[in-house]
Amino acid sequence: MRNFEDDPTLADLLSHEQLARLNQTLSGLCSAPVTLTAERPEVEATPVEFNLETIGWLSGGGSARERDAAVAMVGFLMLFIGKYRLAANLHHDATEAGYAELQRQNEALKDSEARYRALSGQLQQKVDEQVSVIRQTQQELYESARLRSVGQLAAGVAHEINNPIGFIGSNLRVAADYVNELGALVPETPENRELVADFHALLTESLDGTRRIADIVKDLKTFSSIDQADYTRCRVNELLLSAIHLVQTEYQHDLDIIERLAELPDIHGHPSRLSQTFFNLLDNAAQALRDAEPDKGKGRILVRTLARDNAVEIVIQDNGCGIPEAHRANVFDAFFTSRPVGSGTGLGLTVARDTVRAHQGSLELDSREGTGTRVRLVLPVNTPRPTKDS
Amino acid sequence: MPDYSPDDNKLALKVVFYGPALSGKTTNLMQLHSLLNPERKGELMVLETRDDRTLFFDMLPIGLRGRNGLDLRLKLYTVPGQVQHDSTRKAVLSRADGVVFVADSQPSQQDNNAIAFGNLEENLEKVGLDIESLPLVVQFNKRDIPGVVPETELQARWADTPWAPLVMASALKGEGVLATFRRLLEQLYPVIDAEFRLAEDHGISARAFVERLTHTGDASDA
Repeated sequence: MRNFEDDPTLADLLSHEQLARLNQTLSGLCSAPVTLTAERPEVEATPVEFNLETIGWLSGGGSARERDAAVAMVGFLMLFIGKYRLAANLHHDATEAGYAELQRQNEALKDSEARYRALSGQLQQKVDEQVSVIRQTQQELYESARLRSVGQLAAGVAHEINNPIGFIGSNLRVAADYVNELGALVPETPENRELVADFHALLTESLDGTRRIADIVKDLKTFSSIDQADYTRCRVNELLLSAIHLVQTEYQHDLDIIERLAELPDIHGHPSRLSQTFFNLLDNAAQALRDAEPDKGKGRILVRTLARDNAVEIVIQDNGCGIPEAHRANVFDAFFTSRPVGSGTGLGLTVARDTVRAHQGSLELDSREGTGTRVRLVLPVNTPRPTKDS
Repeated sequence: MPDYSPDDNKLALKVVFYGPALSGKTTNLMQLHSLLNPERKGELMVLETRDDRTLFFDMLPIGLRGRNGLDLRLKLYTVPGQVQHDSTRKAVLSRADGVVFVADSQPSQQDNNAIAFGNLEENLEKVGLDIESLPLVVQFNKRDIPGVVPETELQARWADTPWAPLVMASALKGEGVLATFRRLLEQLYPVIDAEFRLAEDHGISARAFVERLTHTGDASDA
């Protein structure tokens, strides 16, 4: 039946067996057998109604009166069977509708859950992005503060040392002249000659010392770029040489640094940040040599530059201790260091990588533990535009 | 919606008595069963009740025959009024051709009337029927109980709705039950006539439709 309320047929109300049993029972009550059928039989028959609907025909029986009585009884029975049928069908319909509704709600709930899950994922991603921006900014702030203090220090030192070194140098030269004049005046004895020569040598040596001091001051000025604006034309070789001198000074001129610098075009860049980067890489190389096995032989650092298409390539290579496999994934992380507390900030390579990125260049690190490390930088001649103002 | 089977030339219509619990829907149907004496009347089926409250529904089939042998049936149903039987109410309400809303006149039951009417609106929408165009009569029952809300107040309250004026009834005493049913048949006829040409094809006029279905067997009008 399509709907619970559709009029039932005789077959809906009684099964085949039930109908047979009903016929048998009714026949027992009547003087002659009676038969209830859904279709109207050929013989004389009385209609059986249910809800105004003729659902069957009763034939047989001893008389018309007997048939009427049997029909009344069947109708009475059908009322109860029909009631049960209607209630059961209604219950079935209502339950099915309820279940369909429940499923629909379940689907809606699932949809909404999926929406919220996606939203939560997006939020998490946003938070992660923000966190990374904050970390980046924090680190740049730290680094720029460091650079500024180094720059200020260098400017102060340069200013304070340049003047005295200037007059010490010129005084020493005048003093050398005076020694020559005095040498002509003193009596010509072997002792005196030796004294004057020694005095002269002392002054020459001192003059050489002042020149070296002046050189260091100059390197410091180049390194901190106190004279230069943010982005300008940079001579990479000069920046490298200053950094090499500074590292040498730090290591008592004890490092074997091989310079193979090719003719390079000037590049557009941030000199103090590049200097800092070169210094960091050289300092790492120098420390790697110091940390190498003692029986490894003499450590060397190779600094090589090369002009390429619209770019310069810088290679800083050492045959020091190398980087252990386990550390390699972390070397660019800020504040990661394998060295004892107090000997490094763990920012050397981080600053180097960020600087190279800001110049839209690339940095490759190649290392094998116990063998050495090679860092290759490629910097474009014309950085399209600095990605960050510093 | 009317269910017409061309094979048997049978047209089955469905009228549902709706309303809050204990407002007298079954009583209405029982009164119609005893008062009416139309050409054809089936048994009143009262399906399972518990404590005199309808669990499924009650059903009374009545009918008449048209000129060309049209077998017109009208099945009158009640729904269970209790809130928890909403899915049953929805199932009974589906495909209804007309609704009699039986409200309770007692002041304490006014909120329940409103809730039940809201439920009717909601369920009609769910089964795809439009309350504005569906034949619908609102009956305020239990007028015999003392202290009921006065008729003038009720009529005023419903005056601006499409269902004014209301029919006052006391189903227990058989008063207003036939009037309610007549009002519904008067609204139902034009809808059915428009679709099935009752007057033209079957010789059933509006007057005949109402009179023949509400025939009481004797002259007195309850």
